[in-house]
Amino acid sequence: MIDFSSPRHRHKLGYLLVAPALILMALIIVYPIVMSVDISFQDVKIARIGVDRKPWTFENYEWLFTSAKFYQSLWVTIKLLLVVGGAALAIGFATALLVNQKFKGRALARLLVALPWAVPEVVAVVIWAWMLDSSFGVLNWVLLSSGIVSKPIAFASDPVAAFASICFVMIWKGYPFICIMLLAGLQSIPEEQYQAASVDGANVFQRFLHVTIPNMLPVLGVAFIMTALWVFRDFAIIFVLTEGGPIGSTTSLAIMTFEESFKFFRMGQGSAVGVITLIICALLSRALVSRFAKSVN
Amino acid sequence: MATIEFNQVGKSYGSVEAIKDFNLFIEDGEFCVFVGPSGCGKSTALKMLAGLEETTNGSIRIGGKDVTDLGPGKRDIAMVFQNYALYPHYSVRKNMGFGLKMRGYPAAEINERVEEAAKILELTPYLDRRPRALSGGQRQRVALGRAIVREPAAFLMDEPLSNLDAKLRVHTRSEIVKLQRRLGVTSVYVTHDQVEALTMADKIVVMKLGVIQQVGSADELFENPCNLFVAGFIGSPGMNFFRGAIQNTDGRVFTTFGGAQVPLPDSLAARAGKEAIFGIRPEHIVMGQGNLQTELSLVESLGTEKILHFQVPAGQTIDNSEFEMDDEEDRDAESMRARIIDDHKYQNGETVNMDFPKSKIHVFDIETHAAIK
Repeated sequence: MIDFSSPRHRHKLGYLLVAPALILMALIIVYPIVMSVDISFQDVKIARIGVDRKPWTFENYEWLFTSAKFYQSLWVTIKLLLVVGGAALAIGFATALLVNQKFKGRALARLLVALPWAVPEVVAVVIWAWMLDSSFGVLNWVLLSSGIVSKPIAFASDPVAAFASICFVMIWKGYPFICIMLLAGLQSIPEEQYQAASVDGANVFQRFLHVTIPNMLPVLGVAFIMTALWVFRDFAIIFVLTEGGPIGSTTSLAIMTFEESFKFFRMGQGSAVGVITLIICALLSRALVSRFAKSVN
Repeated sequence: MATIEFNQVGKSYGSVEAIKDFNLFIEDGEFCVFVGPSGCGKSTALKMLAGLEETTNGSIRIGGKDVTDLGPGKRDIAMVFQNYALYPHYSVRKNMGFGLKMRGYPAAEINERVEEAAKILELTPYLDRRPRALSGGQRQRVALGRAIVREPAAFLMDEPLSNLDAKLRVHTRSEIVKLQRRLGVTSVYVTHDQVEALTMADKIVVMKLGVIQQVGSADELFENPCNLFVAGFIGSPGMNFFRGAIQNTDGRVFTTFGGAQVPLPDSLAARAGKEAIFGIRPEHIVMGQGNLQTELSLVESLGTEKILHFQVPAGQTIDNSEFEMDDEEDRDAESMRARIIDDHKYQNGETVNMDFPKSKIHVFDIETHAAIK
């Protein structure tokens, strides 16, 4: 019988305890990744387990890198990343600063801020789809009756309006998480730093610039990475609202992966898009993480 | 440089009065220490002076100017915080120059002043490092440097030594005093450590539960404490206390300690028959002579000096609640201590003779705890 409390065997207990989680992760994360990389190098229409595998080929990637659709999807994703990432970060930071103040009903305000995050994504997006409907939507009704627009906006069929509505819903869904993260960051800034800055003669704006921002940079960085990865992989919002249309104006890489794989049943090509998305995400987070890690140390 | 004045300053949090009727005048160039147990309001008083806490009533003047309604940046003060409060993302140079930058000084002058302060504090080799690359003592000096480059009217320091180890604390303590003497800037220093207060201050303000107990020099507080609290708080080891009745027989005024007579000043004759609390400092007990006899319960030898412990006679102890020391260091009210420097080898359990010199006995009212002269 091994005594796991002895220093010699203690690490074995550690391995034993993490083993179930590791095995589970390997099964549901690592194995599918390896499989899609494998599929992306094969000319496969519908992937099946147990049938003879096809020879490896670069065909899917050749198609991908010469396909205008891929570049358009990449461009849509980058636009989404910049608009949603930037706006959600700005709004999230602003609301975090707001609910970090001392005021009556702060607990309730924090709860309300977190609400969009707590609503299941598909449920929230279906509600938004109704609200944005060009004939029956409440948003068009408000815009028309207040005289802001003279005819209803076609949120689903106008490329600009479709993209804007996707951005809007993504920001609405994404900013609470950023707000919660940044709020935790704000609370960890020592009060004395603000007091020292006040004694040093810094006004509110200067305190924000010289104390809040530098202290928050690492948290802002992490929040941005999380948002970026979320924008890259989010599927439900775009799929429910526009299905990637009209004419591909809201087709992100995630939507393209889905379309290639399950709409056109070109799973080899779909996997190639997925693999490229994975590589971009890995590079992006690696670059940002090391950048912000440097700013901490 | 400036005088500092608190006039009837008060601070309440809802119905809780944290500071009551705070009146104090600090001379130009004086080193004033606020001392008291935790929760006595000393830090709150300092923060009100800094403008970081609002006063509920009263007024504060710095250099004769009413600053009660001014923000911290406009009071011309510099503050050193307990945890240094350095900006972790800026170099030592930027940390020290921050106050000047906020006040719009030209870069060349900021640099010149920072270099000069760094020279005084021996920080020149570290100017381009970040605070995290410095030791605790160096960080403390940076915090001091940030204060002195500004050349303010007053320095405020909130327990600046409590994060340092014991040896460094003693060293930095004397450094701060020397620096203050050299610059001659009025300074207010907050500490819970009475040793720091005694060794550093020109003027000590002893506080308890938001009320000033006594203001005076170290010698005044040590020799003439105005009440039981100050008597017990100032001095290490603290003053010994026992209760007893004041008696007057044939013109001789005395009390008893374990049955033996302890002579008291004649001025107490009028209080004969009344109970009182008596105090004697460990340093003032004379061993090896006198009519008081006691058995030593513990002998602590510190090399040259010895701390002798013995019991307060039954029925003459005062309990902690009566003493009002809500303190972290719980007093052992049943034992007394004598601090002796002599060549005698004391043994645990040894019976010794001792004397409480008449002139060194402090007498306190049993109800009000005020000193009876």
